[in-house]
Amino acid sequence: MDLKDIQNLIKFVAKSGASEVKLETDDVKITIKTGGDDKETQTIVQQIPMGAMAPAPVAAAPQPVAAAVPAQPVAEEDNSKYITIKSPIIGTLYRKPSPDKPVFVEVGQTIKEGDVLCIIEAMKLFNEIESEVSGKIVKVLVDDASPVEFDQPLFLVDPS
Amino acid sequence: MRIIKLNAINSTNTFLKQLSVQETVVDYTVVQTNYQTNGRGQMGTSWSSNTGENLMFSVFKDVSFLGFDQHFYISITVALAIIKTLKAHEISKLSIKWPNDILSENKKICGILIENSIKKNKFKDSIIGIGINVNQTNFENLPQASSLKKLTGKVFDIEELLIDLIENLKHYFLILENRNFEELKSTYEKYLFRKKKPSTFQDIEGNMFSGIIQSVSQNGNLQVLLEDAVLKEYNLKEIKLLY
Repeated sequence: MDLKDIQNLIKFVAKSGASEVKLETDDVKITIKTGGDDKETQTIVQQIPMGAMAPAPVAAAPQPVAAAVPAQPVAEEDNSKYITIKSPIIGTLYRKPSPDKPVFVEVGQTIKEGDVLCIIEAMKLFNEIESEVSGKIVKVLVDDASPVEFDQPLFLVDPS
Repeated sequence: MRIIKLNAINSTNTFLKQLSVQETVVDYTVVQTNYQTNGRGQMGTSWSSNTGENLMFSVFKDVSFLGFDQHFYISITVALAIIKTLKAHEISKLSIKWPNDILSENKKICGILIENSIKKNKFKDSIIGIGINVNQTNFENLPQASSLKKLTGKVFDIEELLIDLIENLKHYFLILENRNFEELKSTYEKYLFRKKKPSTFQDIEGNMFSGIIQSVSQNGNLQVLLEDAVLKEYNLKEIKLLY
């Protein structure tokens, strides 16, 4: 394999759209990686909220405990009791019905089943996402007018 | 068929949406108006029209039979119903500018606003708002707009257009309910504006490039053949056709 062959190979790989090609013969070992300008179109900044959760209402009413049970471990960071509402489709999420209107739902707001939470636009189709649960919005995980992926968490709802 | 006529209303889509929340609404219930005080286009853009000169209505359709990956077929179905109606009324050179603008002789004559409701990861219903410029002839500051009268010189009966359009919506929705997706897609592609013609596009960063529209994908992306013989798919946010 001479220099010309290698040059041709590089051109071929670049055209093929592959991002990486490895070739090994008896005496040469070549790895070609393309710069992949097109590859980097994926810019999904997904914010995963950790820590700074809205303080859960931990006003545990003193319960008439039957047996003398030793003090139970108090709930740590307990997200399990919240329901995560996820995006059913890929698209652009809007939190308002139109730019000059208030948002559909805000943190702390009580919602009931069937209430509209947001609109997800896909190919000029405007899809109103209705809540499947009743409860209180604990956290909003996406910004207005931002792209969302399928199954991306959108809202945390406290169903209690 | 139930047609609710209103003299002036903020938006027929909004009215029909509220009605569908208050009571059970059957398929092809129509809310029509001769004047919208607050006509809506895509996300905050407005839709304006002279009193009584145009066809403006919203129609209700249950779309719970559709899967999520098939949502673009609602757009296709509506576009085809409009094309068929206009064709029957001898409007020439009709095309669909991706994804759902209806053009005649390269001028926009129709606007569509489709709003679906989704619950438990399923489609419920679709409220389809359609505005067609019929007898209006004055479009100040809107060089790309036209009307049926402007194009043909004739005055059209707005009610007749509405009845025909509803019939054609029923026709194409039946094809959709029978899951004849290929038939719908190929008919849609037949009317695709600038299909197989070299066109100039603008990408998200504002860069211009040329390519040739080939087809649409199942989920509605535009498939464009680029200079180096590469077929690339774009969604609505990624590409703008300059014309």
